[in-house]
Amino acid sequence: MNPIDPQLPPGDPLVMLGLLASAILFAVGIVGFLSRRNMITMFLCTELMFQGAGLAMISYGRQHMDLSGQVFVIFILTVAAAEAALALGLVVLLYRRKETLSAEAWKELAES
Amino acid sequence: MNLIWASILIPVATAAVIAVANARAARSLAAVGSLASLGALAAFAWQFPAWSTGAVFPEPCGCAWLDSINATLGVGFDSVSLMLALLEAFLIPICVIGSWTAISDRQREYYGWFMLLHASILVAFAARDVLLFYVGYEFTLVPLLFIIAIWGGPERRQAAHKLFLYTFLGSLFFLGSILFVGWQHHASTGLWSWDMGTLSSFASARLPANTQFWLFAALLAGFAVKVPLFPVHTWLPLAHNQAPTAGSVILAGTLLKLGTYGIFRLALPMAPEGGAALAVVASVLCTVAVVYAALICWVQTDAKKLVAYSSVSHLGICMLGLFALNPVGAQGSVLYMINHGLSTGALFLLIGMAYERYHVKDMDQIGGLAKRMPVWAFFMVFFTMSSIGLPGLNGFVGEYLCLFGTYIATGDASTGYPGLLGPGFALVAGTGLILGAMYMLLLVGRYVFGPLREPKDESHGKHAHDDHGAGHGDLTGREVGLLVPLALVCLFIGVYPKPMLQAIGPVVERTLAPYPAAVERTLKSQPQAAEAAKAEPKEDDRG
Amino acid sequence: MIAAPAMLSSVLALAEGPLDAHAAPELRWAGLALLLPLLSGVLCLLCGWMKVRSKLPAALTIAALGGAFATILRLQGVVGETPVVINLFDWISWTWGDASRFHGFTANVDLYVDRLTVFWMLFVTGLGTLIALYASEYMESDVGKGYTRFFGAVSIFLFAMGCLVMGGNLVMLYLGWEGVGLASYLLIGYYFTKPEAVAAAKKAFIVNRIGDLGLALALFLTWQCYGTVEYAALWKAIEAAPASSEWTAQAIPWLLMLGAFGKSAQLPLYVWLPDAMEGPTPVSALIHAATMVTAGVYLIARMFPLFVVNPDALAAVAWVGGLTALLAATIGMAQYDMKRIWAYSTISQLGYMFLGLGVGTTFGASYHVFTHAFFKALLFLTAGAVMHGFAGQLDIRKLSGLLKVPGFRLVSLLAVLGCFWLAAFPFTAAFFSKDEILVSAFTAKDERVHLLGWIGLVVAALTAYYTFRVGFRVFFGPVKYEPGDEHHGHDDHGHGHDAHGSHGSHGSHGSHHGHHAEFHPHGPRWAIRVPLVLIAVGAILAGWPSYRTMLNHDEPNWVKTQVVQSSAYQGGSADSHGSHAGHDESSNEVAHAEQAHADHGHLVLGMDAHTAVGRLGSLACIAGILVSLYLHLINRGAADALRRTLMGSIATRWIVVGAERKWMVDEFYDWVIRLPLRLIANILSAIDELLLDAGIVNGLGALPAAVGRLFRPLYGGVVQGYAVTMAGGVALVAAWVIWIWLRGAN
Repeated sequence: MNPIDPQLPPGDPLVMLGLLASAILFAVGIVGFLSRRNMITMFLCTELMFQGAGLAMISYGRQHMDLSGQVFVIFILTVAAAEAALALGLVVLLYRRKETLSAEAWKELAES
Repeated sequence: MNLIWASILIPVATAAVIAVANARAARSLAAVGSLASLGALAAFAWQFPAWSTGAVFPEPCGCAWLDSINATLGVGFDSVSLMLALLEAFLIPICVIGSWTAISDRQREYYGWFMLLHASILVAFAARDVLLFYVGYEFTLVPLLFIIAIWGGPERRQAAHKLFLYTFLGSLFFLGSILFVGWQHHASTGLWSWDMGTLSSFASARLPANTQFWLFAALLAGFAVKVPLFPVHTWLPLAHNQAPTAGSVILAGTLLKLGTYGIFRLALPMAPEGGAALAVVASVLCTVAVVYAALICWVQTDAKKLVAYSSVSHLGICMLGLFALNPVGAQGSVLYMINHGLSTGALFLLIGMAYERYHVKDMDQIGGLAKRMPVWAFFMVFFTMSSIGLPGLNGFVGEYLCLFGTYIATGDASTGYPGLLGPGFALVAGTGLILGAMYMLLLVGRYVFGPLREPKDESHGKHAHDDHGAGHGDLTGREVGLLVPLALVCLFIGVYPKPMLQAIGPVVERTLAPYPAAVERTLKSQPQAAEAAKAEPKEDDRG
Repeated sequence: MIAAPAMLSSVLALAEGPLDAHAAPELRWAGLALLLPLLSGVLCLLCGWMKVRSKLPAALTIAALGGAFATILRLQGVVGETPVVINLFDWISWTWGDASRFHGFTANVDLYVDRLTVFWMLFVTGLGTLIALYASEYMESDVGKGYTRFFGAVSIFLFAMGCLVMGGNLVMLYLGWEGVGLASYLLIGYYFTKPEAVAAAKKAFIVNRIGDLGLALALFLTWQCYGTVEYAALWKAIEAAPASSEWTAQAIPWLLMLGAFGKSAQLPLYVWLPDAMEGPTPVSALIHAATMVTAGVYLIARMFPLFVVNPDALAAVAWVGGLTALLAATIGMAQYDMKRIWAYSTISQLGYMFLGLGVGTTFGASYHVFTHAFFKALLFLTAGAVMHGFAGQLDIRKLSGLLKVPGFRLVSLLAVLGCFWLAAFPFTAAFFSKDEILVSAFTAKDERVHLLGWIGLVVAALTAYYTFRVGFRVFFGPVKYEPGDEHHGHDDHGHGHDAHGSHGSHGSHGSHHGHHAEFHPHGPRWAIRVPLVLIAVGAILAGWPSYRTMLNHDEPNWVKTQVVQSSAYQGGSADSHGSHAGHDESSNEVAHAEQAHADHGHLVLGMDAHTAVGRLGSLACIAGILVSLYLHLINRGAADALRRTLMGSIATRWIVVGAERKWMVDEFYDWVIRLPLRLIANILSAIDELLLDAGIVNGLGALPAAVGRLFRPLYGGVVQGYAVTMAGGVALVAAWVIWIWLRGAN
């Protein structure tokens, strides 16, 4: 990167709003992930956290006057799409095995 | 040099061949391989030039192994390590041929592991580089683990588990200590070296007394597990009891000797100040072990367990001789290592032969076998006598010299080697002679002599299948052929130990060279003890 | 480069040993006395291997032992007054440092041949040969079974005994010492299917081991004090520093004594010998009466220079000997098993020998060993012949009047002759040897032992009584006998397989023998008779030296000559006696005593000690015999009546019960030593298994698992659980980072 980083002055309202929104998105996602047992909901929550992280990147990108943040987010969107396809497929498979969407049905990893 | 590597690599190659060969050929291949290894080592011993000088031959090469820290593949023997290696190479064919009928399943793996075990023990005895020694020392656990865990008795899993973890834990102390010494050497000279001689002379001369104390303590802790010394011996009875016969033979025969050899080769030369300071503590443990294990032997009903505990007792006497820190005791100790390997190994072999026929080793259920198997009984009595130190057989010379060395290891310097032990230790350890006779004759009296008692379920179908035609008859020609060489060696050592004593002597003197001074310093640093030592005779004069 | 071949050649070179130039060339063959028995031992082993089913092993053994005897006879002719050391080969030998004194240890396979050695070997090999001949017939029912084993063990015994007596250093002595222990173990346990025999063998070995420990420690001490354990060098060292007052030097005799008491069955270690009678009778005769048990006497006689400097130790030897003699005699009076009675009498007679040693007359002790060897072997062998003929019967209540049984006349006559000798009837050999000991006891310098002379006289009376109790009961009186429980026709001497055990233990058998009526005792044949007669002749001739001395006072006693010219007779070096003639006995303890009695310095009952002891001894003997004659021949009912009377009163009951139950010494040891030890062993075993192994080791082993279990709830298998753990971990890391950051900010 450039030795002299062009930067917006601190406290730019758009950046602050973006960061706030991303924090809320992430928090909602993590709380949802931890509290819900439905696998689809849990998956949606991971997506929320993803987007929270993406929004934070865009916000910092603006703060630093740099497009890399947005470039990353575009990558993340594509990866998330692929991942969604895969994850939903897995969820369907898991549902077929046990006829339920609850994550608690799967605890083979538990010791004993 | 090449012969040493030949004796090490032949078993490795044999293991590789066995892995791909026909299962039925495995045992013959193993026998050929082990005999070839013995042949190579014997050829080396035949032209070994340093029998009477105590030097190391050949000079360990600088052939690189781990370049960055200058670890080498240096191998070489002095007379002591060569004798122990010969013992190992001598016992392995006996183990292999002794397993011919005892092991019927998974033969390829069994003999393969045995060959690897052999190779790693030889590496340990041959190594002149401490890291190489560590590798050989430690790798023995892997084949042994499998040998016990697969072909052992009913509690084999637990036994193998305990053996591995326990001795592995001990080895960590040992590894830590040698890494420390190597690091100190690097810090002080700027060079890496792992050569035993270099490190020993460096550590004994340059490390302060306090450091040597802890170094010796750590090395002792590491090797004591392997020896095993009281109170870290409890893995041994279990392992012996559960191991297949050949496993017990090699365990008692040479694996335990790795511990005593380690103390002799590394702990004593590296840290004379520590050795002198800790000799009394270690000797107390040894003495306790002698009596404690002997008494426990006396109430065992399982023949194999009895002999296993007797190892603890015997090695107590062996280590006591070493800690006498004079040539008499150390000579006896080294000789005892070899003798114990021969006689206890033979006893395990004999018990295994009876077990193969009856599948019982509990003396409450079986006894008086002399009536069925007179030849077996003859050998049993022979090796019992060897084990309890009957003069004229091998056990006597080592045991006697160990006790003798302990006895004369007083502060008195007229022998040139003042010591820290003295008559008290010899007296207590000497009761081992009486207790040894008590439990070994109990074994003979119940197991060999007395009215014939056989297990009731002898017609059990499974046994008939396992017997492979051995039946309940006396020893076969193959079995007698295994025992006769052992008996002859025992007899030879008992009748004419002179060549061995002369070969061990210079090495022992070299090892103990720093000790008179170190012991003097220890005696001076304990004024009360020194005064007590002087006052003691006066008290007795009055009495 | 090639050192190993050199090693081999040195092994081969050991066949020829160097010899002092001045010694007779015949001495070179002294090693034969060891090699021949060893050879026959090896040949017996081969016979066993080849499954020989003939009397070949016996023939080999007899030939070898005869050869050894011939060798010793030849040596007897040439052995001089100077001891000769013959090095056969190096055994344990090396030096360190500058190889000066105390910088090396040497114990080679050396022979130390002096007159004492040859004297001892003479009766050992002689009796060994005769008893082997006897056994060749006695054991014939075992041909093809234990026959080879028996003769192999006898050969080993003779070899080991040879090492013990002829060895040139204490380690060789120790080798022989343990070797005879092994042979004794094997032979006592000969009937190995019999639990009693196995137990007796074990007991003998273990009790002996206690003594052996003393011997071993004495050996270490000797080296520590004198820097050598070789006799020749040791005498020189002692001469250089005769009376060291250091505790080490003072302790040596005490430890040696312990060894001697073990092997020679003295208090407190005598308990193994009566049980050792489980072995075949020839073994009892050879090992447990005539030869091996005298090893302790030999040890003290040989090491006498170390004892002379320690009067306390000598007094202890004397007292132990005297008390053992008394104790064993009282037990012997109340036993019913013929062999056991002879066993207790052996202990008692050995007590006399130690009494003799303790009061300083090594000559008297050695002479008594010599005479005792013959008559006790004779008594055992006749007992064996009786046992052989009467199917194992040894109970003196069930045998009577054997003198009149056809085929047993000779045996009975010889047995009665043996009884006279054992009772020390006036002018028998034992009378002289016992006389020698008792006179020394009365006249010893050390006042503490004078009482032992009286005890010795009491024991003499008791001995005469119990000896003739057997003699009169078994061989005189009306003919009456019951066979023992061995199957007649002796198909099998190892009858104990079917565990009806303890033949001869009184009262256990009798009525259930259906074939009693048809029982015909069979007399012994020549192989038993010839040795018996020869040994009887030996017993008579054993007194010959004393007869000659009696007739001609200037002529020295031959046995004395043998003993005087050895280490056994003074505190100094054997060499210092080189110039002395046999009867020149200045500068030694006994001579002192005898001079004293010649000066009438010591009076016993107002008489000169020799006369007094002679008269009192005769009196005691005859009194004992007369009591015995009344109680056991003339009026046998009186003995039982006496016993009943004694049993009737509380005050005297303990005497009978105590003597019959051997004063409960075995039980005492059992309760005081064996059981507590057993208890401790069991506790230790439990500690080892439960506390050390299962507790500490497995406990430590379980530690990692326990720690793991602590965190296990975090990994319950539910995805959210893992997520919470992860989130918590992230939060912790974040908190740490923030904390660092805040600290940095300050």
